[in-house]
Amino acid sequence: MIHLRDVQKSYSRGDQTVLACAVDRLDIESGEQVALIGRSGTGKTTVLHILAGILRPDRGEIDVAGARLDKLGEAARDNHRGRNIGMVYQTFNLLQPFTALENVLMGALFGRGAGGDAKERAAALLEKVGLGDRMHHRPGELSVGQVQRVAICRALINDPQLILMDEPLGNQDKATGGQVLDMMLQIASDNDKTVVMVTHDPGSAERMQRTVDLATLRGDTATSSGATSVETSR
Amino acid sequence: MKLISISLRNLRIRLVATVLTMMSIIVATALYAAILVMAEQTEARYEGSIGGFQAIAGPNGTSELELVLNTIFNVGEASGRIPLEVCEQLRKSRGSRFRRSQVRYAIPQARGDSISRFNFPVVATIDEMFSKFEWKREPLQFAEGGPFEYSWDELVALATGLAAHENGKRAGDEVIPERPLLQKKWKQAVVGARVARSLKLKIGDVVVPVHGKLGEYDTHEHPEAACAIVGILEPTNSPIDSTIYLPIGIHLLIDGHAGGVFINKLGAGQSPVKAESMPVDPMRIALTAVICDPLDHMGSQILRKQFGSHEEAQVAWPQDVVPKFLRQIGNAADALAVIAWLVLLVAAVSITVAIYNTMNERRREIAIMRSLGARRFQILAIITGEATLLSFFGAVLGLVACHSAEYFMQPTVEDLTGVYLDWTLFKVWELWLVLGVSGIGAIAGLAPAVKGSMTQVADNLAQNY
Repeated sequence: MIHLRDVQKSYSRGDQTVLACAVDRLDIESGEQVALIGRSGTGKTTVLHILAGILRPDRGEIDVAGARLDKLGEAARDNHRGRNIGMVYQTFNLLQPFTALENVLMGALFGRGAGGDAKERAAALLEKVGLGDRMHHRPGELSVGQVQRVAICRALINDPQLILMDEPLGNQDKATGGQVLDMMLQIASDNDKTVVMVTHDPGSAERMQRTVDLATLRGDTATSSGATSVETSR
Repeated sequence: MKLISISLRNLRIRLVATVLTMMSIIVATALYAAILVMAEQTEARYEGSIGGFQAIAGPNGTSELELVLNTIFNVGEASGRIPLEVCEQLRKSRGSRFRRSQVRYAIPQARGDSISRFNFPVVATIDEMFSKFEWKREPLQFAEGGPFEYSWDELVALATGLAAHENGKRAGDEVIPERPLLQKKWKQAVVGARVARSLKLKIGDVVVPVHGKLGEYDTHEHPEAACAIVGILEPTNSPIDSTIYLPIGIHLLIDGHAGGVFINKLGAGQSPVKAESMPVDPMRIALTAVICDPLDHMGSQILRKQFGSHEEAQVAWPQDVVPKFLRQIGNAADALAVIAWLVLLVAAVSITVAIYNTMNERRREIAIMRSLGARRFQILAIITGEATLLSFFGAVLGLVACHSAEYFMQPTVEDLTGVYLDWTLFKVWELWLVLGVSGIGAIAGLAPAVKGSMTQVADNLAQNY
């Protein structure tokens, strides 16, 4: 599902070039649930954005869900992301003026299209996560846990092969967030989805099948020895 | 969900800014549409209204345009008077070297009264208005009833009687011929289609003429001249629809008119005071105009020659005067249209500024949509869509404002210019105007749209608001 080779991304800050992330090799199989952990500044979110096709690395091969993202143009990567990848963010990133249902439908609109039965699918997803009676509420009228569930529904609306999550429990209490995350992982597992979650929270990482520490994937270690990630499998 | 619903929602959540920006579009569109409507309806009205008025004889000392505007379009006041002998001259070609009349008809008219709060003008005339006068080569048609009866001969007889009475008075005779009385059979009126519609008049209803116009100084009703309606004309889409026709005998006999119905002809060095004590001629009865129709081109030339050096009257030719008048209006309309386009340009700039200013606060929103898979062109479409919708609604509301203004201003505009603004009339150009304004809005939205579509996704997603 995911194959990264010799990927490197750096930013210019004035005269300086800052290495944001470097991954020599990373392979995640279809249906796997993987946590990418690492200290702040190790480039977790950058890797996630590279996997999503939001960022293009300076070099390296990126194969995600059957597409060589490093070879695709921006529009093609956008199209690929919309159709094949669902994303859940730390701040959930719902659009405030739109209702829960509309937020979920927006995922469809920019993905596989909001026509046909998209509305029914969105409503069914919201029902499934217990928001059947809240689908016409705006994010401001929902609790953090409910907002998180809407974000999960939006990530699932296009039936993506890959779900990318960036600190999905970052903004809420562990108990509530944990329940929702478990629900998400269960849905993903039931539907054979691949899940990659970026987190610095060990509790969240433990819920995943495998943990990869990004600190060990930095270019200085990766360039000489190939696959150097420290992995914990469960 | 569609891109357009996102555009609409974005307009709604910035409602105050949207309404304020839209106001400028509404004003610009309404202004432009109003100018076009006025120019178009003025042209249609004036060109379409000269159908039966081939030539108008009126007093010297007034402009041909004024004479045409007053006689055909009911605009302004009659600016002078001509004696009945001018009409007789036209009818008989008296005084010319031609044996036969050079006109199909010559119908006397006297104005100065009105009816109701709409100030519908009263035209005192003879029955030939309904038998000989031709509106676009057809006699006036009656929707209900028929014409009143008051012939040229009756007018001449009345003029003779009035002159005899007046001459008796002026001469200080012991036995003064009795002043002709207002006869009951003359108290009949024919009304135009719009008069009947506006005042909900039907056959048999009574109308009371008012001297002057309601609301003006020294106006008074003439209850003694109350007339029963005997005919309602078919619509002609001309000022005829807004006119009330009465027998001219009533006009000559009602209070306040009788003493002044004769025009004194001053000789060389004669004082007006002395002229008032001189005998009067029945043919010096005062009219405001005579409408006539030359038999042919030769007849027109003869009339031009005959009245070219007439000491009291002139002939105006609506088909010459009206196009010149319309050209002047057209020039003014063009100038106003340029102003309207400038207002529209300013409105377009205000759209650009208004949306551009929101781009910074919307970077995260755009980044979220991009992260969901939105392509740059979709972001471009959403923002351009906002500007287009803003302009579209502004243009539609501008047209609504224009038609509303037409509805409310219609009586005033008609009173001032003689143009009847038909607010129910929708033209194809209005559709093009809406599309054009929307297109201008779309162009105005391009700059902010490009800025929005260039939003850096990763940078803006990383921000925690």
